[in-house]
Amino acid sequence: MLNTLLAIFEGLTPMNGENLVAALNILWKGVLAIFIVIALIIVAVKLTSYAIASAEEAKKQREENATKNENQTNT
Amino acid sequence: MEYLLEGFKALTPQQVVMWIIGGVLIFLAIKKDMEPALLLPMGFGAILVNLPLSPVIKDSGIINSLFQVGIAASEAMPLLLFIGIGCMIDFGPLLSNPKLFILGGAAQLGIFITVILAVMIGFPLDAAASIGIIGAADGPTAIHVANTLLGGGNPFNTLVGPITVVAYSYMALVPIVQPAVMKLCTTKKERTIKMKYSAKQVSKLMRILFPIIVTIVSGIIAPESISLVGMLMFGNLLRECGVLKSLSETAQTTFSNIITLLLGITISFQMQAEAFISVNTLIIMVLGLFAFVFDTFGGVMCAKIMNLFCKEKINPLIGAAGISAFPMAARVVEKVGVKEDSSNHLLMHAVGANVSGQIASAIVGGLIIGLVL
Repeated sequence: MLNTLLAIFEGLTPMNGENLVAALNILWKGVLAIFIVIALIIVAVKLTSYAIASAEEAKKQREENATKNENQTNT
Repeated sequence: MEYLLEGFKALTPQQVVMWIIGGVLIFLAIKKDMEPALLLPMGFGAILVNLPLSPVIKDSGIINSLFQVGIAASEAMPLLLFIGIGCMIDFGPLLSNPKLFILGGAAQLGIFITVILAVMIGFPLDAAASIGIIGAADGPTAIHVANTLLGGGNPFNTLVGPITVVAYSYMALVPIVQPAVMKLCTTKKERTIKMKYSAKQVSKLMRILFPIIVTIVSGIIAPESISLVGMLMFGNLLRECGVLKSLSETAQTTFSNIITLLLGITISFQMQAEAFISVNTLIIMVLGLFAFVFDTFGGVMCAKIMNLFCKEKINPLIGAAGISAFPMAARVVEKVGVKEDSSNHLLMHAVGANVSGQIASAIVGGLIIGLVL
């Protein structure tokens, strides 16, 4: 009965246990991999943002100090 | 006079059915404004390649040649289209709130569930994976993966056409498919959660570094995804670098339009009657719907799980925008949110999840290729 039904669906065969195991493998490996990639991207973005913010802060500080020194020299 | 009747004699009922399908695609494109840039060329192409004795599909025919060069040889067309898409995307909302990236990953669940369903129905693994990728909700990714896995002499090569048509059709149907699933998975209280949006200034340097970071990370963990992700990120770098404005504008408009136009008419090569009209096409339509439903479910449920750990609650609706379908999915979330509470605007958060879905779907496409081959 199943085979007759499957004959209608061109090329399909009864469910293959090996394929199902392979599909389940794709599920866990795929989900794990995508979340690892995402976690690494989030970490990289956070670190880069922090580094950029720190660098900008330091630059601002240097500029402020330079202005202060200039003012002191003028006075 | 005999030669005038040759066309009539060669005409098959299946070809007439394909003309009707082509007509329906053209109708949906013009009358319903559903992905017109692709459905119209595909609809016309479906008629063109199903004319009896059509020279366009012969070895030196224009559609055949375009297909062999633009898709079969290197998937150049879908990949080049990603440059244009990358140029169109502003990753600012995602960079302001990087945790939205998680929603983009979770909303790819439908791809994996559909692969399992397709295997259970009896499809071999490569065909099942190609059907599952409809859940990427991204046409170029679907074409790239299906053609890579089913290209050449694969007996299931005929599925590439139906997979492409179904992928683009469901993308256009996002405003119909998603709201129902979103409502089923959430309570009224959850749908009315308000989220503050503070447009944090994302530095220009961060915007420039982001595409480079994503390319390197994806390339190391999922090397097969790099052709898709690389093109997407290259396009985004063109946009953000600030010194190639005219190139960026061209990529967003003229370039994307030309590739889309050629891709639509070229993919119709896979819509020849003898390959397209089969029960498998109907099964792919049903499985494609499952993929979109489970994608939406995955995104919404992930947002609900994140709420268990986050201080600032996330409206679970924005999880649904994690499926690619940029920018339609984000607009759908905004619409559903406003319907529940007219003062609750979720668009910017949804855009963040939506662009993360664009990256995640391309990465998953590459992962699937790597895991199957």
